[in-house]
Amino acid sequence: MESANTLTSTVKARIEAAGSDTELRAIEREYLEKGGVVAGLLAAVPSLPGPERPAAGRAANQLKLEIAAALGAARERLASADLDQERSSAGFDASLPAQHSPRGSLHPIVQLTRELSDLFHSMGFLVLDGPEVETDEHNFEALNIPRDHPARDMQDTFRCDPEGKLVLRTHTSAVQVRAMRQLKPPMRAIVPGKVFRQETTDASHEHTFHQMEGIVIDKDITVAHLISTMKVLLRGVFGREIEVRLRPGYFPFVEPGFELDARCPFCKSGCSVCKQSTWIELLPCGMIHPNVLRSSGIDPETWGGFAFGLGLSRLVMLRFQIDDVRHLLGGDLRFLEQFS
Amino acid sequence: MHLSYRWLARHVDLSGITPQQVAADLTLSTAEVEGLTRFAPCLSDVTVGLVKTRIKHPDSDHLSVCTVDVGQSEPLQIVCGAPNVAAGQLVAVALSGTELPGGLKLKKTKIRGQESNGMICSERELGLGEEHSGIWVLPGAPHVGRPVAEALALEDWVIEIDNKSVTHRPDLWGHRGFARELAAIYGRALKPLDVSLPQAPNASAAIAVRIESAACPRYLAVAIEGVQNGRSPDWLRHLLLAVGQRPIDLLVDLSNFVMLDLGQPNHLFDRRRLSPAGILVRGANSGERMTTLDGVERALEPSDLLITSGGSAVALAGVMGGESSKVEPDTSALVLEVACFQPAGIRRTSSRLGLRSDSSARFEKHLSPTLVAEAAGHLVRTLQSIQPDARITSQVSDVGAWMDPALRVNLRPARVRAVLGAALPDSEIRSILERLGLAVEAAENSWSVAIPSIRATKDLTAEHDLIEEVGRIHRYGNIAERVLVGELTPLPRDPRQDLVRRAEDRLAGGARFHQTISYSFIGDELLDQLGLAGAEHVSVVNPVADGFSSMRRSVLPSVLGTLHGNRRHRADVRMFEFGKGYLPEERNSSGEPREVHELALVWARPKAATERPWSADLLLHMQGVVEDLFVHLGLDVGAESLGAAAVEAGAKIPSWANPGRVKRLGKAGWIAQVDPRVLRRLGLSGELASEVVGAEINVDALLAAPRRKLGYTPTPRFPGSKIDVALALPTEISAAQGVAAIERAGKGQVAQAELFDVYQGPNLTSGRKSLAWHVLLQAEGRTLDEEDGQKFLKRLRREAELLGGELRSE
Ligand SMILES: [Zn+2]
Repeated sequence: MESANTLTSTVKARIEAAGSDTELRAIEREYLEKGGVVAGLLAAVPSLPGPERPAAGRAANQLKLEIAAALGAARERLASADLDQERSSAGFDASLPAQHSPRGSLHPIVQLTRELSDLFHSMGFLVLDGPEVETDEHNFEALNIPRDHPARDMQDTFRCDPEGKLVLRTHTSAVQVRAMRQLKPPMRAIVPGKVFRQETTDASHEHTFHQMEGIVIDKDITVAHLISTMKVLLRGVFGREIEVRLRPGYFPFVEPGFELDARCPFCKSGCSVCKQSTWIELLPCGMIHPNVLRSSGIDPETWGGFAFGLGLSRLVMLRFQIDDVRHLLGGDLRFLEQFS
Repeated sequence: MHLSYRWLARHVDLSGITPQQVAADLTLSTAEVEGLTRFAPCLSDVTVGLVKTRIKHPDSDHLSVCTVDVGQSEPLQIVCGAPNVAAGQLVAVALSGTELPGGLKLKKTKIRGQESNGMICSERELGLGEEHSGIWVLPGAPHVGRPVAEALALEDWVIEIDNKSVTHRPDLWGHRGFARELAAIYGRALKPLDVSLPQAPNASAAIAVRIESAACPRYLAVAIEGVQNGRSPDWLRHLLLAVGQRPIDLLVDLSNFVMLDLGQPNHLFDRRRLSPAGILVRGANSGERMTTLDGVERALEPSDLLITSGGSAVALAGVMGGESSKVEPDTSALVLEVACFQPAGIRRTSSRLGLRSDSSARFEKHLSPTLVAEAAGHLVRTLQSIQPDARITSQVSDVGAWMDPALRVNLRPARVRAVLGAALPDSEIRSILERLGLAVEAAENSWSVAIPSIRATKDLTAEHDLIEEVGRIHRYGNIAERVLVGELTPLPRDPRQDLVRRAEDRLAGGARFHQTISYSFIGDELLDQLGLAGAEHVSVVNPVADGFSSMRRSVLPSVLGTLHGNRRHRADVRMFEFGKGYLPEERNSSGEPREVHELALVWARPKAATERPWSADLLLHMQGVVEDLFVHLGLDVGAESLGAAAVEAGAKIPSWANPGRVKRLGKAGWIAQVDPRVLRRLGLSGELASEVVGAEINVDALLAAPRRKLGYTPTPRFPGSKIDVALALPTEISAAQGVAAIERAGKGQVAQAELFDVYQGPNLTSGRKSLAWHVLLQAEGRTLDEEDGQKFLKRLRREAELLGGELRSE
């Protein structure tokens, strides 16, 4: 029978050489479990001469402890080697493409409308909605555009009946009147929405498009406030300071009325977007005409205000450099997917 | 409208101010300039030449060989085909290298053997009108060798004005009006213009004019004789050409000139064609017809105003003259008409007949009746400056119930500052008004401002109008910006906007749908395909195209309309749209149809070749999307009102829905497979064969739906017991009935029953299907043991038998 010492070195050598948990488990069974070597040694102790027994018992127990410790160390060594293997870059191709989940998208007009709604809401503007099938009264008469007014030519109108008592609203300004009649000044509101013009369509003309009307009615409102608000708007849209200019523009429901041009954000000295002029005609605006205030029961001597009409579709096209307005309402996924 | 820079300079001194500057300043103070172009640019490229000699071409009957001095050291030989070419003429020569308006680029060439070093040009070849019967013999004594434009002082620029930007300015429909603006902008004087009618000694009686309609407030007629009609002088032709008006003959050109100069239309009749009885202005008789100058016969209505003579119409008042009375090349005696007509009637007539003329465009803007006499005087005086023998031979007939619109408007200078937000001193405000021709009578705080007639018809009638005048001449760009101020109070939020935004985020995000915005119009073809052709729709009377007059009743059809195109490019198509449907049968007191806010969802994918497992059913996935959305929106999906439920027989389901595969979403809408017949009509067959499901949800019904309450229930303290069960049930028994059986068998202990398999096939008795659930049993206050499970299964076996089936496994 081998001595405990010899056994210790033999077992330790086997444990250190073991390459798998299965081998270690076999050694564990052979030595430490029921009927194993250590158990044999211990069982043999009573048959030894009296004085040898204590030492033999201690040696067997010592052997058991050492084997258990060596097994623990070996298992740790194997696990660590496995982890090292996982941490190796062998076979790793960093250039393989990502596996995407499909994506959805928000319509670009909705994206812009949200940005502007948030911007104006933060400045105390309500966001209002109104009907798209409108009365002549709201769309024209109350906005200082009576029948036979040449300004009606500027807005070719879809009529829902031969006399045009009901029309598809030609501008979101129609909601101005509703707002002024329902709310009490002071008020600030924007109205994003669909508008309609009876127009032959091509890459730059649509019969259905989106606008955003804005109105402010308060005491002591001046052209100076209008200019400031428009600059805030443009900063919001383009993310930086944009030079603007106001020039006379004619809209019957404002006076003075303006066209607001923005310095072309795409060039320094002229490009196709600004038709080489470095200015982009962006939105009509002006001080609300006293007749319009009066027709909504607001005293123009006490209250004044301004209004602006932003072309959302046009702005979306400018921002994303979209070359054909018909994409916007065309429902083509190949277009819509680009805005996710 | 085109303006000529040279023409403007006839009315205001523009020395030192370039055409570019004029265009920029008009844009910032007056009207939108759409373009600035050089007039007849080739005139700067062609050279004044003197024809030294001309001989007949040796090999041609109609060609000549000329030598022409073009200011170079030697005269050039040029072959010319014009019959009127002669030695001694000053002509316009295009040398080789020059490009002419038609795109012709000249080069040295040989014509029938004779060398030709350029071309002697006709007016047409230079873009100066139609004259092409011979070469253009230059007037005066231009310097040989110089560019023609410079030598004849023909350099000009054309300023193109956007007509829409001057709709409200009747005074800006002629050059003098724009010159008045420039005078105000530059602080220069408007040049005086004598527009008085010359005295007519020994004049015969006035032409009899009677007005029968209030639509003609003023009518002036005067006879003129001694006119030799023919070609207009070049200065007149060139001004007209510059603004795009084709010269015709002296009389037509003069009439146009006065209109384009003062903005007042006028008309010349050949006296021979008028009845000696004179002129009657009246409404048309019903059924009356007349042929206008453009040769078109027009059917008239009583609202059309006519100028008649001897019972027949000679002009459609303010719109266009009549064919029968127009001036001819041999006209020498004429009647000049200058009149004022009410804008509304002109507008109605010209838009009904689709006949917009320079004249109707101006009358529509509401011209001042005072312009009538001024235009008459201007025309006669201009005519006499060209033909001194022309003279007025009748007394002036000037009739009508017109009134001078000139008025006074009060202006508070403090109000100007308050509206503009600019610290303008009184003196500057006053200066601007006076430069614009408005006389100011200043009192302490309120001024009385005299508005001249030409600006008083509708443009300047109130204080605000004057504030605009000051603002635009002062320039809005000179006003410093000021930030809005206001009281800070929390703003209400719109619940519908909030709901829509949350839903959009959920659908575009987690559910991976793409958002569309579609036209509100829906084509007849699509309505047919969807079986909606018979439904009542809101419609327009003037659609953009035939078959596109209807407006959708609901949003989903619009989205279905895009499927064919989208499925061609994409296998999996998921789209949603928030929009409006328009219901004509529910109108409010103003007649407006009800507009319903809807959410439409469409999900399409290729039709499977073999049957998919139950869990891949697209309808169930769509239902999952919708239910998840409702949870996200905080709606109580468990509530009866929103849970998807089977549809009772005979219910009115949407026309697009497959009647065999439809579920109701309470009051909020529908979720269904799209009817396979609709899909076939949409062209989704063959390669594009698709499985399509849709949902149609009323947004306002969601707003009214019960909210889900978030609350806490204690987590179970004792572990539950999980059991998988499978029931073989007759096919007509629903999964819901199976769940009810499980719940009855559980006696209140069923915490969860999750369906994980649906099977129909070989191992089952026919007419049966197998449904399998993971069941979790849970009891309060104790741990469930094996015996509890056995009792549950025993009860479930009986329940299954009561349903006509059996418990398959345990
Ligand atoms: Zn640019």
